[in-house]
This record gives sequence, C-alpha cells and structure tokens, in this order.
Amino acid sequence: MPEAILTVENVTKRFGGLVALNKVNIDVYDGEILGLIGPNGAGKTTLFNVISGVYKPEGGKVYFEGVEITGKPAHQITRMGIARTHQIVKPFNDMTVLENTMIGVLFGRLAGKVSMSEAREKAMKVLELVGLDGKASELASKLTLHEKRILELARALAAEPKLLLLDEVLAGLNPKEIEESLKIIKETKEAKQLTVIMVEHVMHAVMNIADRIVVLHYGEKIAEGKPVEVANDIKVVEAYLGDRDLALKFVKVK
Amino acid sequence: MSSFSELKARLLKPTPLLIILLIAAVAVARLLNLTTLDTMTIFMYFIAIAASLNLIMGFTGYVSFGHCVFLGIGAYIYALMVYYVPWANALQKTGGLGIIAVALIAAVIAALVAAAVGLAVLRLRGAFFAIATIGLDFAVLYIVMGTVPFINPEQFYGAQVILPSRCLVSKTSTFTAMFITMALVLATNYLVRKSRFGMGLVAINEDEDAAEVMGVPTAKYKTLAFTLSAFFTALAGAVFYLNGGGVSPEAFDLAHTVDMIVMIVIGGLGTVSGPIVGGIVYYWLYDTLLVHYPGVNLIILGIIVGLIILFAPEGVVGILRRYEFKGVKLREVLE
Repeated sequence: MPEAILTVENVTKRFGGLVALNKVNIDVYDGEILGLIGPNGAGKTTLFNVISGVYKPEGGKVYFEGVEITGKPAHQITRMGIARTHQIVKPFNDMTVLENTMIGVLFGRLAGKVSMSEAREKAMKVLELVGLDGKASELASKLTLHEKRILELARALAAEPKLLLLDEVLAGLNPKEIEESLKIIKETKEAKQLTVIMVEHVMHAVMNIADRIVVLHYGEKIAEGKPVEVANDIKVVEAYLGDRDLALKFVKVK
Repeated sequence: MSSFSELKARLLKPTPLLIILLIAAVAVARLLNLTTLDTMTIFMYFIAIAASLNLIMGFTGYVSFGHCVFLGIGAYIYALMVYYVPWANALQKTGGLGIIAVALIAAVIAALVAAAVGLAVLRLRGAFFAIATIGLDFAVLYIVMGTVPFINPEQFYGAQVILPSRCLVSKTSTFTAMFITMALVLATNYLVRKSRFGMGLVAINEDEDAAEVMGVPTAKYKTLAFTLSAFFTALAGAVFYLNGGGVSPEAFDLAHTVDMIVMIVIGGLGTVSGPIVGGIVYYWLYDTLLVHYPGVNLIILGIIVGLIILFAPEGVVGILRRYEFKGVKLREVLE
C-alpha cells in the first residue's frame, strides 16, 4: 500500500444540533482517485470544507503529507497543495477565463514565486490541458455551465496541487460532456501526478474512474473499498444505491 | 535599449497615458497661469480622494462610507503638528516637498488607525462594513470635539484649528504638494491594478469565499488595501485643509465620502482611469452648476448623479470597457 497523503482522523463537524460529520476516518493514498459518495446531506461537501479549511471541525484532526492542517486558514491549505472545485460554480464573472486561471497560479502552491507574465503563460498551459484555451479572453460570465465547471477545474489545477478535491464536477452535464470531463480528469491526473478525491452522484462515472470508494451516510462512514466491493455492500445498497444489480452493472462497464 | 522600448510600450497604453496627460495638463495650466492655483489644487484634491477610496471600494467592493474620517485625521494631525512642533512648521515652510514630508507623518498615523480598525471591521461584509466605518467616523469626530477645544480653549474654539499666519504656507507650495499627492495615488492605483495584489483584490470583489479557497489571503489583503486607501486619503486631507488655512469638525462630514463615491461611480468602479474621469466630470459639473445655478446647484447635481447610478452604474470607463476599437477589446487595454 502506498503512503497516505491525506489522513482524516476522527473528524466531527456539527451545525447546531445537526452532526454533519461524526468521527470520520479516511486515509487517502498517494496517486489514487478516491470516490466519495452518499445521499444528499451525507456530509460529503462538509468534509471537503473541513479538509480545505473553510470549516473548522469540532473534533478530530486532518493531516496532509504528515503535517496537521486542522483549522488552518483556507488560503494556507491551498498553498500547501490542496485545491478544490465548488459544487456550485464560483467563477470570477467579470474576469476573463485566463485571468480566473491566473489567480489560481498566483495564489496557489507557487504563490509569490511567479511573475505576472510567467503566471499568464502557466495559466494558458492549464487552459490548453483542459481544452479551454479557445475561450481564454472571454469573460467567465459568458461560459456555459459545462465550461464553467471546466474553468473550476482549470483554476484548481492552476494552483499546482498535489491533492485535488472535485465537488460534483459532473452534475448537470449531458452524457457527452460527462465523457469529456472524465477524459480531462484522467489525463490531467496522469500528467500532473495528482491524488484526487471526487464527490459524485453520477454513479457509472465514479464507479468507473475511482480506485476506491468511501460511502458517507448521515455523517458517518458506512463503507469503504474497491468499487465492486462497495456496490455489493448491503448497507450501501440500502442507504444509497437502491439497486445492487444496477450498481454492479456500472462497475462492469469498466 | 530593449528595456527602454519595453517601458515605452508599457506607457503608451491608454491608462498610463491618461495619467501622464493629466499630470502634463496640470503642469501646463500651472506654467501658463490658465486658472487660479486654488482651482487647480481643489481639482487635484478631488481626483486624489476619489483615487484613494478606489483602492478599497473600487478594487475590493467594500464601501467605506465613513472614509472621510481619514481626511479629518490627516488634516487635524497635520494642523496640530505645524501649530505645536517648531521643526514641522519649519519643514513645511521649505515648500511642496516639505509639506509632503510633514503630511506623511499624519498619513502614517491615519494608516495605523486603519490597519488596527481594519483587522476587526473587515470581517464584516456589505452594509455592516459600511455602517462600522460610519461608526468610526463619528467616534473620531466626538473624540476630536471632546479633546481639541481643551488643548487650547482660546484658539481652538468649537474644535476648529485655524492656522495663524506663522503656520501658513504659500499657495504655490500647497499646489506642488497636492500635485505630488495626486501623482502618487494615481501611480499606486496603476501599480496595484497591475500586480498580483491587485488581482487578489479584484478576486475578493468578485467572490470572497472562492478567492480565499483559491489561496488569496483575503483578511490580509483587505486590511492592506484599506490601510493604503486611508494613507492617501489622509495625505490629501492634510494638504487640502492646509491650503484652506485650517480644519474644523466639518472635515468629518459624510458628504465628503459621498463626493468620493460619486466620482468613482461616474468614472467606473475598480478601474484606474475611473477616478480621473469621474473627478474631471464631477468637478466640472459641480463648478458649472455652482456658477450658473447657484442655490439649486446641489439639487441638480443630485438628480444627475441619481440618473447616472440608475442608468449607467458601470460608469464611463466601465461602459467603454465593453466595446472594441479597431479589433482591440478595450477591456484588455483600458484599466
């Protein structure tokens, strides 16, 4: 087993009386794609918010590359090498696609080490990688939802992260766009040697692309393992998948 | 050589060109005595305070409604310094640069106040931040009204610090000082806009949470922008009230902030050329209306400003930036 790049240890997050995460333990190994699934309200996005520093957990710890990052400000965590996308896209609408991506370069892992012109070049390379270079000088507000999702990905990649958190990048896309997005994710993951955690509801996609799956339900981890193991898990089927045969069919598409 | 042509290429863009043109125009007007020194000083003061507020309000979107507090702080500290500190008075008598040197002290103090307050207040968003800055303005106003008269009850009646003739300087000196102030704040606007810091500020304006997650140290950047903005506002305030011969609690009047906001909005929020264009238009309107329609001038001005905000909230530069000129997208060259 390779080394864990990220360790989530006993993390608990409450919102008033609601326990969004209850003593969750997850190890993420270097170089893998970890799928994070579960019904709405299971705590997936909350977990992302805890890892990326948006929320401070009430209990537990998060380690990234052996260093504790619990409760650090979000911008510091980004600079250490964790980048994320948002489920609800948050482009800087009045900036061009290129400028949006430049922010990622200028304030990511290379923060303070690149000049404006270098940042421009690097951002352009990222846009080429994800196939958005043709829209570089468009305002972000002019993009389609699919393109905005890709821009979220580009901005995250521009930070040159080691760990990438993808929050429902496939939601609301048509099958062709999903296919394209998956290809981009796979390619960039290889090219940049990334570790990826992806929250996803598009089951056939996540079952296909993930090396391992973690299932959250009401803030608790109810299953963990290879896609085929998870699809066979009775608890998971009851809580989320609903139909075991259908779930297994998704896995077999691989 | 290459660095020279590079510099030339950089300066030949619309925004730096506009700054250079403005500075040249003022210099020519001064040399040819086209108008009175006072008129020019006040005109430059308008542009300087608009450009100062632009650093926080234009770039980050935070409306610092009580921003006039820094005009007052700058003006009061300056006036009290030249009144009581012999070397400060001697220094300001040496001319424009001497005034700037003394005003810098006042500006640094205002900047420190801004930094301390900013750390606490910039956690607030939107209207709450605006209200907090108004609170700061009133707090400082009442501190001034409660302390200044007691420093010297005979001279500072009603907290007015009217400079005696031994503390006054020539109009030429205040002109030079305001000229330097305006050039400094415009250059700062341009450099900030072109820098990583400026990109971070604009990202904060667009979506603060997304900016933080992307690595922008939002709290630090906002405080820094607020501090810079306060610094230049105080610098301009110090020189302006010196030019007027003294300062009174009127300096803390929120109407001054309204002036600044209206100028930036007319010109274009968050742009570098906006405060220049807005300053010119606003000053011209203000002056024309005052001459031709005295008495109702402010009513007309108010209506015009209302119409602009209703129908062209992006301001002159903001609207221009939507268009292309000879195949060049103006938003790429016009900051």
